[in-house]
Amino acid sequence: MFTAASVSRSSVTLPTFTSGLTRRAFGTSVAAGLHGAALMHLLGTDLHADNSREASPARLPEPANLRPKRAQTPPAARAVIQLFMNGGPSQMDLFDPKPALDAHHGEPYFSKIAGEVENVKDAGALMRSPFQFAQHGECGMWVSNALPHLARHVDKLALVRSMYTTNITHEPALYLIQTGRMISGHPTLGSWVVYGLGSENQNLPAYVVLDDPLGLPINGVENWSAGFLPPNFQGTRFRSSGSPVLNLKPEQEDPGDVQRLERDLLSRLDRLHQRNRPGQPNLDARIASYELAARMQMSAGDALNLSGETQGTLELYGIGREPTDSYGRRCLIARRLVERGVRFVQLYINSQIWDNHTGLAKDMRAACERTDLPIAGLLTDLSQRGLLDETLVVWGGEFGRLPIAQLPADKDEQKAGRDHNKNAGVCWFAGGGVKGGVTHGATDELGFTAVEGRVSVPDWHATILHQVGLSHEDLNVEQSGLRERLTGVHPARVVEEILESPSGR
Amino acid sequence: MFQRLFAHRDRQVIRRLAHRVARLIVVLIAVTLADRVVAAGEEVRPISFDDAILPVLTAKCGRCHGAETQKGQLALHSAKSLRAGGEGGPVLVAGKPEESRLIEVLEAGEMPPDGKNRLTADELASLKTWIHQGAKFTDSAEADRVTQHEVVPILLLRCVVCHGGRRREADLDLRSRDGMLRGGKSGPSIVPGDPGSSLLLKRILAEEMPPRPKLTEAMVKPLEPAEFEVISRWIEQGAVEAALPPDLAGTADDPLVRPQDREFWSFQPPQRPKIPEINDKSAARTTIDRFILARLDSLELKPSPPADPMTLLRRATFDLTGLPPTPEEIARFRTETENRNPEEQAAAYDLLIDRLLESPRYGERWGRHWLDVAGYADCEGRREQHLPRPDAWRYRDYVIRSFNADKPYDRFLQEQLAGDELADYTHAAEITQEIEDNLVATGFLRMAPDPTWANLTGFVPDRLEVIADSLDVLGSGVMGMTLKCCRCHSHKFDPLPQRDYYRIAAIFKGAYDEHNWLKPDTVGFGGALNAGLAARNLAVVTTTERNRWLEQIQAIDAEIATLKSQGNGADIQAKIRELEGRKPREPKLFALWDSGDPSPTYIYRRGDYQHAGTPVSPGFPSVLNQSGAPFEPRPPFANAPSTGRRLAFAQWLTRRDNPLTARVIVNRVWHLHFGRGIVRSLGNFGVMGDRPTHPELLDWLACELMDNGWSLKRLHRVIMTSATYRQASVVDKRHSERDADNQWLSRMPLRRLDAEALRDSLLFAGGTLDESRFGPGDPVQVRADGLVSTGSRRSVYVQHLRKHPATLLESFDLPQMNPNCLARSESLVAPQALHLMNDATVRQLAERAADRVVATQETSVDRVKMLFEQILGRDPSEDESSACVATLDQLTDVWNRQPPEPKDAKVPADQRALRTLAHTLINSAAFLYID
Repeated sequence: MFTAASVSRSSVTLPTFTSGLTRRAFGTSVAAGLHGAALMHLLGTDLHADNSREASPARLPEPANLRPKRAQTPPAARAVIQLFMNGGPSQMDLFDPKPALDAHHGEPYFSKIAGEVENVKDAGALMRSPFQFAQHGECGMWVSNALPHLARHVDKLALVRSMYTTNITHEPALYLIQTGRMISGHPTLGSWVVYGLGSENQNLPAYVVLDDPLGLPINGVENWSAGFLPPNFQGTRFRSSGSPVLNLKPEQEDPGDVQRLERDLLSRLDRLHQRNRPGQPNLDARIASYELAARMQMSAGDALNLSGETQGTLELYGIGREPTDSYGRRCLIARRLVERGVRFVQLYINSQIWDNHTGLAKDMRAACERTDLPIAGLLTDLSQRGLLDETLVVWGGEFGRLPIAQLPADKDEQKAGRDHNKNAGVCWFAGGGVKGGVTHGATDELGFTAVEGRVSVPDWHATILHQVGLSHEDLNVEQSGLRERLTGVHPARVVEEILESPSGR
Repeated sequence: MFQRLFAHRDRQVIRRLAHRVARLIVVLIAVTLADRVVAAGEEVRPISFDDAILPVLTAKCGRCHGAETQKGQLALHSAKSLRAGGEGGPVLVAGKPEESRLIEVLEAGEMPPDGKNRLTADELASLKTWIHQGAKFTDSAEADRVTQHEVVPILLLRCVVCHGGRRREADLDLRSRDGMLRGGKSGPSIVPGDPGSSLLLKRILAEEMPPRPKLTEAMVKPLEPAEFEVISRWIEQGAVEAALPPDLAGTADDPLVRPQDREFWSFQPPQRPKIPEINDKSAARTTIDRFILARLDSLELKPSPPADPMTLLRRATFDLTGLPPTPEEIARFRTETENRNPEEQAAAYDLLIDRLLESPRYGERWGRHWLDVAGYADCEGRREQHLPRPDAWRYRDYVIRSFNADKPYDRFLQEQLAGDELADYTHAAEITQEIEDNLVATGFLRMAPDPTWANLTGFVPDRLEVIADSLDVLGSGVMGMTLKCCRCHSHKFDPLPQRDYYRIAAIFKGAYDEHNWLKPDTVGFGGALNAGLAARNLAVVTTTERNRWLEQIQAIDAEIATLKSQGNGADIQAKIRELEGRKPREPKLFALWDSGDPSPTYIYRRGDYQHAGTPVSPGFPSVLNQSGAPFEPRPPFANAPSTGRRLAFAQWLTRRDNPLTARVIVNRVWHLHFGRGIVRSLGNFGVMGDRPTHPELLDWLACELMDNGWSLKRLHRVIMTSATYRQASVVDKRHSERDADNQWLSRMPLRRLDAEALRDSLLFAGGTLDESRFGPGDPVQVRADGLVSTGSRRSVYVQHLRKHPATLLESFDLPQMNPNCLARSESLVAPQALHLMNDATVRQLAERAADRVVATQETSVDRVKMLFEQILGRDPSEDESSACVATLDQLTDVWNRQPPEPKDAKVPADQRALRTLAHTLINSAAFLYID
C-alpha cells in the first residue's frame, strides 16, 4: 500500500497541545490502560524527562515506549544477539572434556541419579564422548572437534561451564531461561531489555526475532512474548525470506494512482474527524502509527536485503551453500539489524536440534555443521566492523545433558544419546564488555553437576542486563500489586569473573 | 537405631548408611572444632539457651512471635519452633550469626518494629555468641522432637500418589498415623519406637520405594536424606501425634488481623450512602448523576452536553452488543428522535436500551467480558503440544446464556464456584439442563493453563501452579484482592496472613488437591507421555443429550451387527472400521468437582512445596469476614461425595455483608461502560490499589445491585440511562485543565473498538457475519507465514488457542490468558495499521461491503451515504460526503484507464472505485473509535 514516494511526501505531524491537556496528562491517561504510549515518541521528545530514573516501582506506562532511554549504569554493550540453542546442547561433547567418562565408560551410574533422569526406562551406563577435544587459541580453551570454526575464536569467548537450571523438561526450562519463571505469561529477556532501554531506531522494532522458516522452536511465539508488558515490547518476527513482517505489503497492490487517492482521502477524513475532536491525543497517535507503518515497510525491507553484501561476506557466513545457508542468512541479518540500532536480536534454528536423546555422534555433529561456520562468521564480521565491542553475543540452550547414555528402543549403544540434565550446562558470551579467552566454573569429574562458580539462570539474566546497563534489581514494573523483575525474588549475581570491567557500577 | 537396622540390611545399604554416619561424624567434629577455635581465641563461656536466650526472646519478641500469635508463622517461644523458623524459612544458621535472618532484622532495627522494646547491646551480643557457638538448645531433645505434622507432608509428597487417596496400592494409606499403623498387605508400616522394624523405612532404604523405574510415571522424586531422617526420628520417638493448633483466624482473639486492620474502606461492608445535593438539579437524570455532579460541582466543572442521538445509538449498541446498529435500528431510532423534544428523545433512548438488553447479542458481548475474567481458552497451554479442551465451549455457552437470562450475579458465582455442590448429580434420576449447567459452570475454576496431563509437567509443583492460577482468577477477578501474594509470605500491605491463603486453598482441596490429582482428559489426543493419573472428565450431560448419543451409537452398532452377519471380507471390515470412526465422542463436561476426601493442608514456607509448615483448616480470610461467620461446611446433599466447603465459601462470598463481591462487580461493569473503574485497579481493592474516585457512588451501586436481586441488566439500565453516560465525548479547555484524565467524568471518553468488536464489525460491514450461536469453537487456520485467520462467526465463538490467537484479534489486544485478563490494554502500534491496510481478508470484506451498496444505489452521493451507514453507522457530514464523492469519481477515472487484474476483469470501474472507498472507511479513525 505504502510506497517510497508516499513516505517522502508525508511528514510526521506533531500535535499541538494548545489546550491544557498536557503531554504529561496524556501519558497519565494512557496509564489507565492505553498503550498508545508506544507511539508517544512520535508526539515529541519532552513527554517525560528522558533521564529520570525513578527509584519507585515503575508503573506502566511511564517507560512504556520505545524511545531510547538512558541506561541505569554505564553500558558495555548497546545490543544483544542471542543465539538460542533449543534442545540443550551437550556440555561434555562440546566444551567440557571429561577424561573420567573415558575411564568409567560403561559403568552403571543410573541409581545414583535416578531422581534426575527424565526417561528412566532408557537410562544406560556412563558414556564417553564420541568427539575429541583439543586446546585452542592463546588461552588454550578446550573445544571438541565438533566445532572447528568456533575453535578459531576462543580468544573472544567467555565460556561458562557451570550453568545450571531447575527443570529438566523443555517447556518449563525454556520459560525459565527466556523469562525467569517456569510458567508462561512473563516478559522475556529481550522484552525487559527493550522495556529498559528503548530503541535506537524508530523505524524498526527494537526486538527482532529471526526464526527458522523450517519451523518454530518449542513453546513457539511464547519465546519472545512480552508477557504482562505492553505488546510493543514483544519480539517481532522477521522472516529471512519474502516479506519480513506479516502484512507488510498487500498481496495484490493497487495501481499507484489508486494508492495515492486512497491515502489522500484517508488523510482528509481523519483530519476532519480529528478537527471535531480536539484534545484527543490518541487520534494524533493513530495517524502517526500509519506513518510509522509506512516507514517500517521501507526500513524492514532494507535491513533484510542482502544484495549489497560482498561475496566475501556471504562466504564468511556460509551463505549460498548447505548446510549453512539458512542459519548463515539469519546471522548476517542479525549483524545488519544491530548495525541499524536494533537492540535485541534472537536467532533460532528449527525445532530442537540440540536435543540429542539418541544418535549423539551423528545428530549433534549435524547441529554443529549447520551453525558452527555461520556463528564463526558472525564473530569475524562483527569484530572486523568494530561492532563486537558494543554487541553482546550470547550462545546457549535451556539445559545441559547427562553423563550417562540414553539408549534407543533397540538398545543399540552405537545410537546412544544423552538425556536432559538440569544440574550442569554450558553457555558462552562474546563481545559487549566480556573478557575473551576465559573459562569460568567447573563441573564434577563426570560433568553431572556444576560444582565451581555455579551460574544460575537468574545470574545469567543479571549478567546480560548488566552488560547493557540495566540492573536486575532496579529494572522492575508494577504488576497486580507485585513489583515484578526479570530475576523475580531469586537472588541473582552478575558473573563478574568474565567481565572486562567487573566493578562498572 | 543404626545397629538394629544393620542387622536387616544388605551390604549396599549398610555401605550407604555407613557413609551417612561418617558424614554426620565429620559434621560433629567440625562443630566441635569450631567451638574450640572460639574458645582458644578468648575464654568464652558457653551461653545457655534456657538461661540467656529464651527469656530475652520471650520478653522482646514474644508479643508477636509467641505460641499463640506466631506472626509470619514465626514463634520464638520454644527451641523447636525457633529452629523451624517462619514463613520465610529458617531464622538461624548455626555457627553463622552473620547469615542468620534473626540477627539481620535485629541489627537492621527492623525488629522489634517501630524501635520499641529494642534488645540491649549485651542481649544482642550474647544472642550472636550463642549462634556462633552452634545455636545449641539446653534441652536438645525438645528441639529434636518430631510430630506427624512434619512426617505427613513428606509422605504426601513421596508416597501418597499410590498409597492413599484414589490409589491405595497394597491396601496402604499413608496419609495419617492411623493409616501407617494399620498398614497394608505386608503388615503395619511403622512400629513406634522401633525404626529398624518399620517397614516404611526398610522399603525406602532398600530403594524399593518409591520404585525407581516408575518415578516419572508416578511423578514423584525419591526421598531426600533429610526427609528420611525426620521420619526415622519420629518413629524412634514413638510416632507421637500432636494436636492441631487452635484455629483463631477470624475470632476476636485472631492474633494476625487486628481490629484496626479491618477499618480500611474496602473491608467494611458497603452501606447505602446519602444522596448528595447538587447545584443544578435539572442536570441530573438519575441518582448516579447526583454523585457525579456533586463532585464536578466541587471542582467547579460542568458536565458535557448530551451526545446527539445517532452518536448515542452507536455508543450504546457497541457497548451492549459489540456490534454496530443495524440499518433497521438506525432507521427506527432516527424516526423516533429526529425533530423530537428532549423528553421524547430520552424516552426513545430508554426503549433502545431495553431492546439492546433483550438482544441475544448482549450475552455474546458481556459473556465475552466475563470470559476474560475467567481466562477462557480452548486448550490447556504450557506445553509444546497444546492439549485441546474439546468440551470447554459448554462453559462459554453457559456464560452467554446466563448473561442473556440475567441470572442473578450471586447465583452465577455460586454455580461457578460450587455448582457440583448445588444439586445432587450423582443420584439424580434425570440430569436436567439445570444440573448440567451447575456442573458446567465450575469450568470457571478449570480455565487456568494446565500442563499436568503430561508426565514431566505433572509433578506436585506443576499442579500447585495450576491451583495458584485458579485462586488468582478467583482472588483478582471476583474478590478484588491480590491473594496470590500470600502464597509465599504474608501480604506485604494488606492484612492477609499467609495462613489465609492456605485456608482458602484448603476450601478448594476437595477438588484441587495436589496430592490427589486428576489430570486433564487426553482422550482422542495424540500427545505423548500421558500422566499416570486418573483423568478428569464427567460424563454427566443432560439425560436428553446422553440418550441421543446412545441412540447414535446403538444405530451404528446395529449397522455393524448387520454387516458382520454378512461375512468377514476385507470390504466389510473396511466398512465396519469406517462406521466405528463415525461414532460420536461421548459427551462430557469440562468441570470441577469435589472428591469428598481432601488431603490435609499445610502452609508452604516461602511457597515451597518441599517446606511444609503449620497445618491449617479451611476458612474465610479473616479480614473479609467482618461478621465473624464461622466456616461450617456441610455435605450439600444426602450421600454427597463432597465436603461442601466450596458451597459454604460461595454462600459467604455472596452474603450481603461481604465487603467486596458486589463492589468488585459493579466496578467492573462501570469500567466496561466508562473505560475506567471507580476503583481503577479492578483486581486490587487493597491498600496498594487505587482509592475509589466516587466511594459513595460505588457503595450506592453495590447496594442497588444487591437490593435488586443482583440483576446485572438492571445495573446496565441504571448506568446507561444516566446523563453521565449520555454525555458527549468532546474535550473542552476547562475539561483538559481540571479533569485531564477524565477521572471525574466531565465527559464520555473516546474509545477504540476492542479486538472482537473490530473484527465483528468488519464482518458485519461486509455482510458476511455468521450469527449462528453456541457449540464448539470455530476453528482457526494457521498460514505458513504465521498469519492466523478465522471463519466468519462472531469472535466469541472463534476457537481460542493460546499459541495461535487470530492475528487480527491479537494485533488489537486480544489478551493472552495467563491465567486471565482483568482489563484489556489498548495499544496503538504500526502492525495494526499494516493489518487493516494490507490484509487480504480485510480487503475482501471492504469489497463485499461496497458490492452490497452498488447493487442497490445508483448515484455516488447515495452510494457514499449508504456505505457510511453500513460501515460507520451514521450519515456522512457534508464535508465527508463531498470529499468521498470527489475521490470516488477520480478513482473511477483511474480504474477506467487501468487494465484490471484478470480476476476483477468483469468488475466495472465504478464498483472498483467504491471498493477502494470502503477500504478507506475501514481504515479511518471514525471506524475505529466510538464517541
